[in-house]
Amino acid sequence: MISFEPTEDQKLITGTVSDFAKSTLAPRAREFEAAQAVSAEARRAVHELGLSLAAIPEALGGQGLGLITATMINEELAYGDPAAPFGLPGFGAYLIAAQELGSDEQAKALIAPFAEPSAHDRFGAVAWSERKPNRDRAGFVTTAKKVSGGYELTGAKAFVGNADLAESLIVFAQVDEKAGWNGVGAFVVDKQNPGLRVAGRHQTLGLECGHFGEIVLEAAKVSDGGRLEGRGDFIAACTRFFAKYSLIVAARQVGLARLAFDVSREYCDIRKAFGKPIGHFQDIAFTLADRHMDAESARELVRRGAWTWDAGKDLDKCLLATAQAVAHAHQVAMRCADDAVQLHGGAGFMRDVIVEKLMRDAKQMALAGATAEQMDQLAAAVELGLPLDPALIWPTPETQAVLT
Amino acid sequence: MIDFELNTQQRMLKEALHDMGKSVIRPQSLGWDRQKTIDLAFLRNFYMMSQALRGENNPMEDFNEGPKNRDPGKPVQTNRTAAMGAEELAWADASIMLSLPGPGLGGPPIRASGTPEQKERFFSIFRDMSDELRWGAYGLTEPGAGSDVAAIRTSCKRDGDAYILNGRKCYITMGGRASWVVIFATVDPALGRAGHRAFVVEKGTPGFFVGKIEEKMGLRANETAELVLEDCRVPAANLLGGEEKYQTKEGFMTAMKTFDNTRPLVAAMACGIGRAAYEYARDFVKDNYVLGRPIPRYSAIAERLARVGRNLEAARILTWKAVWMADHHLPNAKEASMSKALAGQAAIWACIEAIEICGAHGTLAEDHALLEKWFRDIKVYDIFEGTGQIQRIVISKRLLTDLRAF
Repeated sequence: MISFEPTEDQKLITGTVSDFAKSTLAPRAREFEAAQAVSAEARRAVHELGLSLAAIPEALGGQGLGLITATMINEELAYGDPAAPFGLPGFGAYLIAAQELGSDEQAKALIAPFAEPSAHDRFGAVAWSERKPNRDRAGFVTTAKKVSGGYELTGAKAFVGNADLAESLIVFAQVDEKAGWNGVGAFVVDKQNPGLRVAGRHQTLGLECGHFGEIVLEAAKVSDGGRLEGRGDFIAACTRFFAKYSLIVAARQVGLARLAFDVSREYCDIRKAFGKPIGHFQDIAFTLADRHMDAESARELVRRGAWTWDAGKDLDKCLLATAQAVAHAHQVAMRCADDAVQLHGGAGFMRDVIVEKLMRDAKQMALAGATAEQMDQLAAAVELGLPLDPALIWPTPETQAVLT
Repeated sequence: MIDFELNTQQRMLKEALHDMGKSVIRPQSLGWDRQKTIDLAFLRNFYMMSQALRGENNPMEDFNEGPKNRDPGKPVQTNRTAAMGAEELAWADASIMLSLPGPGLGGPPIRASGTPEQKERFFSIFRDMSDELRWGAYGLTEPGAGSDVAAIRTSCKRDGDAYILNGRKCYITMGGRASWVVIFATVDPALGRAGHRAFVVEKGTPGFFVGKIEEKMGLRANETAELVLEDCRVPAANLLGGEEKYQTKEGFMTAMKTFDNTRPLVAAMACGIGRAAYEYARDFVKDNYVLGRPIPRYSAIAERLARVGRNLEAARILTWKAVWMADHHLPNAKEASMSKALAGQAAIWACIEAIEICGAHGTLAEDHALLEKWFRDIKVYDIFEGTGQIQRIVISKRLLTDLRAF
């Protein structure tokens, strides 16, 4: 039965997260930006809310609240500070990758440390992108060579969230060089691995507290047990990982879009020109109406995308609804943030007001997880009944390199 | 709980309309468009079928207050089900929905403001239409007053037990064949909205004429008429709600009340037409291109298609939200306008893009029978029941503080 009403639990959770985001994250957004990190105090507070494992099934050590609830939590956090969720332990790509790519045993082992009381200081990372596409063959430059008892990883990864903080990284590398994007594997690399080196931190357009950086792998040894094989179908598992992670990012874009809209609306109410509030001019009012339609539709589409996964729909249905939601949310957030700066006029360009940060964050976030362009290709592939070719539907460095 | 699954009744309705749309309606759609009317035989069959579907429910209940013995605070499914039906029927042919026998847009104002006697008198003619199909209509727009409803000039003057009406109404859906039309008039233009009165003017009333039947860009199978009132004497008993109803601004509100519930249905219809064009382009691409590889040219087509698809999806989700709110008796004027504004835009875009994707073929009626028709049909969905701009006025008044007028 069609319903837009969250459950009582979801209302309670979103209410709590919303209060927290407004009182703790929002006032410190600029502080996190300058420090290029979410403060330990805020991280501890988030961890104490106990929501970082919301979407992880109970069987794997999570809270089993489902993806709809997870999108609601991320939306509310982002409404406080859209960058903050990228600097919070447990909210990133790592746990979703562990859940989707690992066996039950591997997933449990990887997820458990994040449920511990001290986990507010514990980060994981997913190393997917590389700076340049491989010009010689399809697939990653970074290779995983089979050696006795495990693999040796060699290469470099870029745009890795929390690269320098992560205790554990899930690294993607080419296992079978001849198989192109079908020959990719995922490996768990610990921070202590002597073959792993954090190469540096990216200075980014936005999302400063996301700690995006590069890593270098020099014959980093991973045991056979450290390879994540996606429960038999690695390609499908990897597709699910990107779909779900991108949906979480899309939920943050919705939070950003709502925030940009609300800030703009308030400004248009109080800023006067030619003797009346600027919101009382049609061009401004209609712009606000359009952005409101944008933010509201993106929010419901993201929930619909999450619903397909929670309701156990066919993979094609889940991927289509997710792709549509993610692509729409990215474009909506950018439009809302762009107009927020525009409606503020010169003041919007100044760092006294939050909107300039929102515009930078929106663009940066549009490149986290799969992009709108990649999601459109995915949606078209599903609709046209084409085989889901990883080269086409994953955010590979051959199309647009993305942040993870 | 958040849920996007149709219930059994909605799914069955959707499937039944879809099958009929595909095998019965679409093959006749272009013919109706050319002959500028839907076959009465088809409308009669469709009407009989929908009566049968209603089963034990008394159809009069729907026309009057809605089913009896219903707790007014309890959510219903009616608006959601209607939206499903509207989308599917419009997917098959846009003109049918607007041409169905019954009170049409004239229904809501009578339901909202009519006296019990008026409801019985004007709705009873639809109780049994097995002998003859009948329509009602809604006459608000005038040559000089479209979106600015308050500017209507059609006059009404009390004269004994009647009112004398003078003026012209235009773009009246099914106005030529309607058994009665709800006509909005004013006692004094200087009074603005307070001067408005709504009358039910019956066919054959002396001084009440049908003017020209319009030639249109699209929706050609649906009748759009001009109505002329020349010293037309309308009994005072046909003043909607009686004289005391108009001591407040109610008169104008009656006109507007019609729209909160109908806008999402128009949005749903737009989604149906847009979806038809989208699916057509999708299947065309499937049959005519090789999209297996990320070749730039082809991925550009894929992206276009995907954008059309998701914009329609965004419009549909707002439409569903608006009808869901209506079913829960939540005020939804803003959401109704949002759904209509977004759906009109998304569906027009879908039709434009679909033609573009199909190339020159897309414009040929002989090769792509219905695509060029949908393109013609869809434009008015961003115009009637409030233009996209009017919707944005409705929305922005509910976003900004103290914004009463521009």
